[in-house]
Amino acid sequence: MSVILKTEKLHVAFSSREFRQTAKIALNSLDLEVNTGEVFGFLGPNGAGKTTTINVLLGFVPPTSGSASLFGIDVRQPIARQRIGYLPEMTYYYKFLTAEELLRFYARIFGLSRTEADTRIDRLLKLVELEPARKRPIKSYSKGMQQRVGLAQALINDPDLLILDEPTSGLDPLGRMKVREIIQRLKNEGKTVFFSSHELGEVETVCDRVSIIHQGELKAIGSVSEVMGQRASLEKAFLDIIGYQLQPAP
Amino acid sequence: MLSSRTFYLLSLALLVLSFGLAAHLEPEFQSWRGSRAQGDIFNVLMGDSRALFANHFYVKADEYYHSGYYPSIFDNRTAFETPHVGEDTGAINSKNHGDEEGFLGPPRDWIDAFGRHFFPDRHTHLDEGGPADDLSGSDNVREILPWLKLSADLDPDNVQTYTVTAYWLRERMHKTAEAEAFLHEGLRNNPESYDILFELGRLYYESYHDTVRARNVWEAAVRKWLKLDPDAQKENKLIFEQITTHLGKLESEAGNYDQAINWLQAAKKVSQTPGAIQQQIDAVKAKMAAPTNTPAALPH
Amino acid sequence: MNTIFALAGVAIKELYRRKDFYVLFIITILICLVMASVNIFNDAKIVRYLKEISLLLIWISSLVIAITTTARQIPAERENRTLLPLLAKPLTRMQLILGKFLGCWIACGLTLLCFYIFFGALAASREHQLPLLNYFQAATLHWFMLGVVVALSLFGSLVFAAPSSNSTICFVFVAGILLVGRHLNQVAVTLAEPGRSITYAIYYAIPHLELFDVRDLIIHNWPLMAWKYFGLAILYALAYMAALLIAACLVFRRKAVN
Repeated sequence: MSVILKTEKLHVAFSSREFRQTAKIALNSLDLEVNTGEVFGFLGPNGAGKTTTINVLLGFVPPTSGSASLFGIDVRQPIARQRIGYLPEMTYYYKFLTAEELLRFYARIFGLSRTEADTRIDRLLKLVELEPARKRPIKSYSKGMQQRVGLAQALINDPDLLILDEPTSGLDPLGRMKVREIIQRLKNEGKTVFFSSHELGEVETVCDRVSIIHQGELKAIGSVSEVMGQRASLEKAFLDIIGYQLQPAP
Repeated sequence: MLSSRTFYLLSLALLVLSFGLAAHLEPEFQSWRGSRAQGDIFNVLMGDSRALFANHFYVKADEYYHSGYYPSIFDNRTAFETPHVGEDTGAINSKNHGDEEGFLGPPRDWIDAFGRHFFPDRHTHLDEGGPADDLSGSDNVREILPWLKLSADLDPDNVQTYTVTAYWLRERMHKTAEAEAFLHEGLRNNPESYDILFELGRLYYESYHDTVRARNVWEAAVRKWLKLDPDAQKENKLIFEQITTHLGKLESEAGNYDQAINWLQAAKKVSQTPGAIQQQIDAVKAKMAAPTNTPAALPH
Repeated sequence: MNTIFALAGVAIKELYRRKDFYVLFIITILICLVMASVNIFNDAKIVRYLKEISLLLIWISSLVIAITTTARQIPAERENRTLLPLLAKPLTRMQLILGKFLGCWIACGLTLLCFYIFFGALAASREHQLPLLNYFQAATLHWFMLGVVVALSLFGSLVFAAPSSNSTICFVFVAGILLVGRHLNQVAVTLAEPGRSITYAIYYAIPHLELFDVRDLIIHNWPLMAWKYFGLAILYALAYMAALLIAACLVFRRKAVN
């Protein structure tokens, strides 16, 4: 199995604008590897550094030190993003475009031919069940529909690596189920999925391996069972690893 | 909570009350002091600044007269202190001096030199054909009319706007009726204006060949000029000279030589070129002395 | 280039799906038609005042469209969070800047085409002539001037925090250049040092947008300008566009996007 995503001693610090305040360390020597074909869950409490890690992988934020690579290419090279799909946590797209126009726009950026783009757009809109609404402007879509458009645009280039930032956030149970199904289908096709989530139940169900990050540091990594250890659930393991002590009931 | 019926009845009552109040106050409003109760929309909206705008549009007419080749506030304007659109009517004292062709001066740098290819670069007058420099387009002077009209609307007290506009309407556009109507409008706004009366007289005399009306109007102009105080008369000698010389010419052509000489002598008193007036007087005297070629009366 | 054209296409779609252009176009038409209906001494051939008013409205409208459309491109992407999914694609920040610029500039060109067609029709209805080459020169110079303004606005959108402040500053800057840019060298001469040097520096540094304002030539039917100077003006505009776009790329490279 080859490594598709790798960070080596990745360190990100944001300098503070306050006088005499030290820089805020978002990631501290993060070492991470994701193998081809696996579904990898990236867990951590709010503010742990999950989104910062994803931002570094996508080239939005330059690392202060260390390195990050996708398919062996430094993440600062735009070509590294040729074979990835990204679904951000908050899905907002050009409100004045229709779903079809949005997908065609992104297809053009990936350099897909017109015919290829048409085929993929039809397939993806069927997959995310937006076929009836393809010609409506996105501003008329519900939250769930916008999330599905987001998923479709993340898949337009048939990516080998899908990076999802809280893909089920804000979705109803039916929507969450559909996202899980899509992730499972991608796994079956041999794609790699790297996603962050707070829904530990989902992570337990779909992930091959998980990692837990807290205060910018990697606290645990391995298969779900390895991370759980002797604990009853992934949630208990998560709380223990991040050092949260449950208060006894009065 | 009001029911909807009560709400509508209350609204109706308020509406009736408002209209009644407005109708009651309207006659009183007319007697209120201040420009809001008088004048037209320009007066109400702009107040005293309308005179500034009027002057701006008068200068705009001159800019159009020059097809856009015109000095800005940064350039040498000594040759444009009296707008040429008025100066060329021959009825206005000109304060112009200096170079009207080269007010820009030589280019100061490469940007200035390059920039001169992008705006009008020659001094032309619309009545002489404008940029094409051919007289075929000499009635293009019509293009100055909107700005003159707007200037007059904004500042009806500016007499010069009426006289200049009427001159161009009559002389170049051959719109004598429109010129007459415009001058009458000017007279309504400026009943004591001898300038407008003079121009009106020219219209009757030169365009309609109506010597009776021309004489009446010019004599009225003289009467109004004579009502001025001595200082004002000293400053407005040119217009008096023009009125009296025109009266002199009119009387001379009508055969009233004594009256013609009287007018010309009045003109000579204020003229800066008395020699030229004297020549006109001499010509009239020569006409008086020449034998008439009337046929002998037939015997009964 | 495909990526740049794709980005440009989105900017163009945004313009014709917003109401700005239609509102300004209709207002321009209405004002011109009202002005055309005014009776001026029963002369139906008077046309130059109408040409001046319509060209003034066209210039104001085009500047409003250029500046407001461009000023909100990057900030709106950031605010609407569409920037992140976009930059997650294999495109560089320079391609994003160039794509936005091209889209806004082409959109301005299309609006100018509509405005100038209306202007030509209005003028021809009274003058009974259509000097196409003159109008072509005027419209092209106008379009290239808008290119400089779009590049300026795009650069400003990366420097200033809010689109409103960027728009205001751009309007003031552009209006200042159009009104007094040509005369700064005359003003400089009247000043003492160091004011004189500063004014001269500003005079040479600013893009002289007033070069592209050939309205007087069109209104008063001056002959066609020499194509040599037309070409040089185009090159002048392209130079400033390039400089501003390079500056924008350099600023954007260092900017955080999240």
